[in-house]
Amino acid sequence: MSNTSEVRIQINGEVFERHVEPRKLLSDFIREDAALTGTHVGCEHGACGACTVLLDGEPVRSCLMFAAQADGMVLETVESLASTPANLHPIQEAFWEKHGLQCGFCTPGMLLTTKALLEKNPDPSEDEIRQAIAGNICRCTGYVFIVDAIKDAAARCSSEGDR
Amino acid sequence: MKPARFEYLAPTSVEEAVSLLVEGGEDAKLLAGGQSLVPLMNLRLAQPSVLIDLNKVEGISSITESEDAVVIGSMARHRAVAESEVVRRFLPLLAESAGHIGYPAIRARGTIGGSIAHADPVSEFPCACLCLHAEFVLTGPAGTRQVRAEDFFVSYLTTALSPDEILTEVRFPKPSPGLGWGFLELARKTGDFALAAVAATVALSPDGTCSEASIAVAGGGDRPLRMVEAETMLKGNQGDDVIARAATAAATSSNPPSDIHSSGDFRRQMIEVLTRRVLTAAWGNARRGE
Amino acid sequence: MTQSLAPRLLGAKVKRVEDPRFLLGKARYIDDMVRPGMLHAAFLRSPIPHGNVRSVDVGPALAMERVRAALTGRDIATKVKPIVCDSTFEGFKSSNYHAIALDKVRYVGEALAIVAADTRYIAEDAIEMIEFDIDELGPVASIAAATREGAPLLHEHWGDNFFIEDLLEAGDVESAFRDAHGVFEINVSNQRHSGIPLETRGVIAEFDSDGVLTMWSATQIPHMVRTGMADCLEVPEHKIRVIAPDVGGGFGPKGHLFPEELAVCQLAIETGRPIKWIEDRREHMLSTFHAREHYHRVKVAYTEEGVVTALDATIEVDCGAYSIYPWTAAMDVEMGLVMLPGPYKIRNFRCEAQSVATNKCPFGAYRGVARTAVCFSIERIMDQVANKVGLDPVEVRRRNLIRSDEFPYMSITGMEYDSGSLIESLDKVCDEADYKAMRQFQEEARSEGRMVGIGVSVFTEQTAPPADKGLPLNFSWDAATVRMDPSGKVVVQVGTHSHGQGHETTLAQIVADELELPLADVRIAFGDTESTPNGIGTFASRSAVVAGSASYLAAVSVKENLTERAAHLLEASVEDVEVKAGRISVKGAPEQSVSIAEVARISYHHPELLDPSMEPLLEAVATYNAGPGTYANSAQIALIEVDAETGKFKILRYLVVEDCGQMINPTIVDGQVHGGIAQGLGGALFEELIYDDEGQLLTTTFLDYLMPGATDIPNIEVSHLVTPSAFVPNGIKGMGEGGAVAPGAVLACAIEDAIKPIGEVFVDRTPLTPERVVRFIEAASSGGGVE
Repeated sequence: MSNTSEVRIQINGEVFERHVEPRKLLSDFIREDAALTGTHVGCEHGACGACTVLLDGEPVRSCLMFAAQADGMVLETVESLASTPANLHPIQEAFWEKHGLQCGFCTPGMLLTTKALLEKNPDPSEDEIRQAIAGNICRCTGYVFIVDAIKDAAARCSSEGDR
Repeated sequence: MKPARFEYLAPTSVEEAVSLLVEGGEDAKLLAGGQSLVPLMNLRLAQPSVLIDLNKVEGISSITESEDAVVIGSMARHRAVAESEVVRRFLPLLAESAGHIGYPAIRARGTIGGSIAHADPVSEFPCACLCLHAEFVLTGPAGTRQVRAEDFFVSYLTTALSPDEILTEVRFPKPSPGLGWGFLELARKTGDFALAAVAATVALSPDGTCSEASIAVAGGGDRPLRMVEAETMLKGNQGDDVIARAATAAATSSNPPSDIHSSGDFRRQMIEVLTRRVLTAAWGNARRGE
Repeated sequence: MTQSLAPRLLGAKVKRVEDPRFLLGKARYIDDMVRPGMLHAAFLRSPIPHGNVRSVDVGPALAMERVRAALTGRDIATKVKPIVCDSTFEGFKSSNYHAIALDKVRYVGEALAIVAADTRYIAEDAIEMIEFDIDELGPVASIAAATREGAPLLHEHWGDNFFIEDLLEAGDVESAFRDAHGVFEINVSNQRHSGIPLETRGVIAEFDSDGVLTMWSATQIPHMVRTGMADCLEVPEHKIRVIAPDVGGGFGPKGHLFPEELAVCQLAIETGRPIKWIEDRREHMLSTFHAREHYHRVKVAYTEEGVVTALDATIEVDCGAYSIYPWTAAMDVEMGLVMLPGPYKIRNFRCEAQSVATNKCPFGAYRGVARTAVCFSIERIMDQVANKVGLDPVEVRRRNLIRSDEFPYMSITGMEYDSGSLIESLDKVCDEADYKAMRQFQEEARSEGRMVGIGVSVFTEQTAPPADKGLPLNFSWDAATVRMDPSGKVVVQVGTHSHGQGHETTLAQIVADELELPLADVRIAFGDTESTPNGIGTFASRSAVVAGSASYLAAVSVKENLTERAAHLLEASVEDVEVKAGRISVKGAPEQSVSIAEVARISYHHPELLDPSMEPLLEAVATYNAGPGTYANSAQIALIEVDAETGKFKILRYLVVEDCGQMINPTIVDGQVHGGIAQGLGGALFEELIYDDEGQLLTTTFLDYLMPGATDIPNIEVSHLVTPSAFVPNGIKGMGEGGAVAPGAVLACAIEDAIKPIGEVFVDRTPLTPERVVRFIEAASSGGGVE
């Protein structure tokens, strides 16, 4: 029985090659092996959405995948959106402007879920926004300003003709 | 909440997967989308010693159409099913049911085969498959066999799959044109498990009476249930009265369990309500046949 | 002068200065930290609710590869004292809450052992290997089971299962009932649920060779936790440093000293290695303190006009296994006892209260302690009175509320309400909702056979309370240091902690205003007992009041020092200079001026230029004591439509008027209101920690314990009234908890109202599940009335 498997995962453009135990969750790989701690773990059973990352562009729960499964895949985490306060992504700008976060723990998952939503649907209705983030629990905001932020993000992204 | 140790295998063909499954024996488990299995593993409620990942197996995730059937590979993701042109054209009920499964991120990973093989009695796909007369292609060391949905679901999380078989394909007969359909689910909140869900199709004769009906219920017992008595009542009839009686029959034929979210009695009551509404909707969108 | 300054930052919708690090994924929560040589801990938790611990053998775990250490209750018995937190009220019975269970386990989830290994994965493997033997005792899983004749005793020496029984009587209840136009009784319950922050608890402990114990913990109250640690561990308080970094939501549950904190620290002390423990979600549901479980029976006397004249009540709270630090197991009953009359002028009052020990997770603080339950009761009472005398629910409240000209108002229970706008808030929320049009809409909908209801609630919200009665400590105060550096910029260090509330922005707004500096020149620091003044922490809607005012007072003091020095440098008298927009100048002669930065530079680096009486340091510490607290108030209205067959209902509108006095940052206030209401709605609709009769918790995942999501919470329309606090500097009142208080009462009112055409029912409990709503509807149509 092999103890570790070798994986090669591209995260935010950087390739991480590591030997990992097969049971290592992708969320732990991202946080520990890639040291990208912006991806948060809130429930480890796929119900809270905090650990959402983009896998080949699609939002997925990183707590419900093993790192070994992501071998050869391309991931984006919150750190892919921007590296400094000076170059925030329009979605981040919108969340800032509209007070779409409080404690910040759900925020990375929200931002990436928003990114995936706007790529498919650049001008979502309020109902579509709420459906899209229905699996991302925010315990602080009551979602009101998150919905506002996503509307604002849609406007910003389309005016930039970007992403 | 970290899983126990296991050996991880990632075959690339069905044949390889089957032989690994045979080798792995009882402690081997197949990993499809992982949206139900991995939570159980994280909670250590499931501790397989060998995990055979089907995600790299080629040729079992496409959605195609033949003259008389829609064929969906077992590793097709919920989202792919929901968005497939073919599915939306021929099996709108299936597409609709997919939208009720979890959340976008769950639908991006979860697979139709995984959901069917897991056989949670409140799940959407088993219920939809039962309603739509699906057949499942099971591949084992001796080759493939086909099992009808109504013979497949045995009891709670238990199916007709042998330990050495893999569900590789789901085949849906193409419905006759004009078939009416409906799918409704009651859950305490969006994306949550259904308290009950009902799928139904109705074919109408030129006189507006029902020529054929199919009704399946999730949450009505230890497996998805076909409501044969209700279907029989509908045939040759029409109108709100017979729909109401069929709905009552569906409720009576159900034996739903009680849990923290709802009593069995309430579930039964909801099966009646949902069945009536689904049949009314199906009648509404059915076109009268030749 | 190129800096542009808002005339006043106080009251401005300033964007939060802390946001970029959260948006970038660069915030630092406990689990983001790694210490050299760090081990990962896991707890073995009791699967048995009540039993005598015969043995716990960690040997098989320690024999495993890469497992480094383990401790049982016996191992630490002589080194770690149990957590003891006694109410000062007479008759309170003490409990010993061990960091790791010693002789007895009293709830499922209580720690039996801690293991440290190289990874959390291995630590979890190890706890599966621990062997233990527990003699099971009968489980006591409810108040009924605990108070039954011959019930098993949680704490044998008590002789019963009551933490405390109390009675409060004021006015002439007997006469009021005798003279009443009508009398009725309600019997209501609020289910056990809790704050459930998205980040679970987490601890890293490190013990260095100087004997200093550093604990990073996701806590709301670093200073109080430090005191509790010193009480229990063999490390003196001056050698304990507690750091609360970014914390992913608190809501009360993170405002306690936890046994796990002690166990992790002790393991760090014994191994000499840093130990990290990150609670998983299942552990969180089992062992982070629960809240809310109240049972109220209230007899009500009222007049023909619908005025409530007397209450005769019993409050029972299921407090779980142990009294918790620092709030005690008396917190909910004592708070319920004094707050039950709420915003209404009830002058005759009698209330018995009992806090009961059961084999459940201990019971602690959650946003709006006891007030959700008392609001539910008193608002249910108002709705009943309205029905009985044939009044609109809005009108009945108007007749009972304390009028603005009656403040300050001493409640019958001895609470000093300093100010408020109760009737005005109710009127305003009706205006905002267009209440008449809403009723019109309801009529029309009813005529189409739709089931539409309107719910309303008003409450007064004690903020920054002292809790000086009954608790082992008085927390009416907090502290701040304002420290100006030689460049004239400022760091403010406070004893409170911000975990979503935006203090890095709001406190900076206050200080920047006072010091006439741009917001960017003020930075707020908190969460490290080593670098902040001794303080109390963040809870009870207190930080804006106590930390805001302490920061303000310290800034006033620094400004005085600056002015003095500037006057000296400008050769003017102090009265003749003024501070404005970063400069200090002679009044009427703006050309004679010096910048704050210049004064600061001179102060530190050229003190010889100052008067010899002036010290170089531009720094001040201030404390602020809010005395009896200050009262915010709110009114809420909801319009709902019920699916009569399935019991599911949609909240079509939800409106709030909040009066929290002078707002520091209205956007942040609105965010707090939204979040509070969402939590209140969570409790009203979904959330419940359910134990079976055997004492097993059935809701250990988010598939069982349902959290409200974006499709469950409506858009929430917030507007404001501003009644400044009568005494707090800047007129500020607290407000963080308020939103969470009323939604249960609002929705109960709305459901009854929706069902009314079918018949009368009494909604006596939450959560309002589809099944429960359908049963209410069935009861109404069968004329059964009350469930």
